[in-house]
Amino acid sequence: MRYFFYIGTCLLLILVQTTILPHFNLFSEIYDLLIPFVIFLSICLPVRESLPFILVLGFIVDNLSGSPFGLYLTFYFWLFVGVRWIIKYLRAGNKLFLSLVVIVAVLLENILVMSTFALLGPIWPLPGEAVRNIALQVFWALVTGPLFLLSLLTISKRFNIQLNGAGAAPKT
Amino acid sequence: MVLIVGGVVLITVNVILLSVTSKNQSTFGVGRVGLSFVAPFQELITRSVRFARGIWGHYFFLVSVSEQNDDLKKTLNYAIEKNNQWHEFELANIRLRNLLKFQKSLANRVVAAEVIGKDPSAWFKTVIIDKGKADGLQKGLPVVLPQGIAGQVIEVSDHYSKVMLIIDRNSAVDALVQRSRARGIIKGASADKCRFEFVLRKNDVQLGDTVVASGFDGVYPKGLRIGQISDLSERNSDIFYEITVTPFVDYEKLEEVLVILAPKIEAFASEQ
Repeated sequence: MRYFFYIGTCLLLILVQTTILPHFNLFSEIYDLLIPFVIFLSICLPVRESLPFILVLGFIVDNLSGSPFGLYLTFYFWLFVGVRWIIKYLRAGNKLFLSLVVIVAVLLENILVMSTFALLGPIWPLPGEAVRNIALQVFWALVTGPLFLLSLLTISKRFNIQLNGAGAAPKT
Repeated sequence: MVLIVGGVVLITVNVILLSVTSKNQSTFGVGRVGLSFVAPFQELITRSVRFARGIWGHYFFLVSVSEQNDDLKKTLNYAIEKNNQWHEFELANIRLRNLLKFQKSLANRVVAAEVIGKDPSAWFKTVIIDKGKADGLQKGLPVVLPQGIAGQVIEVSDHYSKVMLIIDRNSAVDALVQRSRARGIIKGASADKCRFEFVLRKNDVQLGDTVVASGFDGVYPKGLRIGQISDLSERNSDIFYEITVTPFVDYEKLEEVLVILAPKIEAFASEQ
């Protein structure tokens, strides 16, 4: 049941991001909606389940995007590692923590993208549009990221999904 | 006997009175008194009855009107939806007719495809189309629109393909200024702009000039429109112009595209 939930959510997010949101100018610069989902998976699932899922997710998004192949795979993997490491020291259910993690992750993804651009040629100084793009992504991440993440956590609880693989609730 | 006489007299008087009043249509004032007395009551009763009947009738009428209103609203909504659908069909029809007209003008074999998805990242400008290997598509084929060049196929699966738009940072198109034949490379720059690089300052380039594909890259057929020069500047130390080109294609509203299956490269060969 929980695999259906993960696969369904993942598919829904990809579809929303690639087919629905592009129709709305307001969301044209929205952040990668899969970031909160990857954070959610990293927090809630044991490594043996979340890691393959995240790698497959990265592979799929790499296939859909015009980015250099492996960019999303790399980013989602390191995001997973980072989140797993950080929840050893911080409470995963803390709203401030969730907001920070989403925003930092969005910024890191943008830095990674800019780094790939840098491989093609000089990118500095950043064009105004790039700065605006990053600012808007951070804004949307700040406004919707924690809510989105909390919703995922709540829904997963409702589905009675065993958190951390041992039926334990996330550290709140 | 008296009764009989009295009765005959009464009948006679009555007949005379009747014959007189039937000729004059007069009640000698008596009728008016009765009328004045009774009529107000009649009026009251009549109006009350009418009022009650009106309320009763209108209530049922309103109920039926309300039902009719609901039906009409449903019909109207349906009609609006249909109208919207027909409007969409009309617009699609116009677009497809333009595509067909453009398709006929191209000497090459083309496949029409529909855009079904966009890049998940705002940084990269690619779209997914609903045609793939099964339709004859392969990597590197040019994708065009009646307005101009859209991009090129960069990945193909059996039934779908990924197209990199010319506004993507990784895209490059060999191009010419249509008027002066000044040559350069069109590179993706941002959401709706391209840079026209490596155009020598000795060439004649003006704002508003149209930029077309040169055909030298072996991908895009020669002469396909790309965009219009919207910004032009010269740096003293540089030998090239700094040119911004606004593409003719609105990439935010991309819905249907044409993939040229076998682009002619004779132009490229002959130019060499």
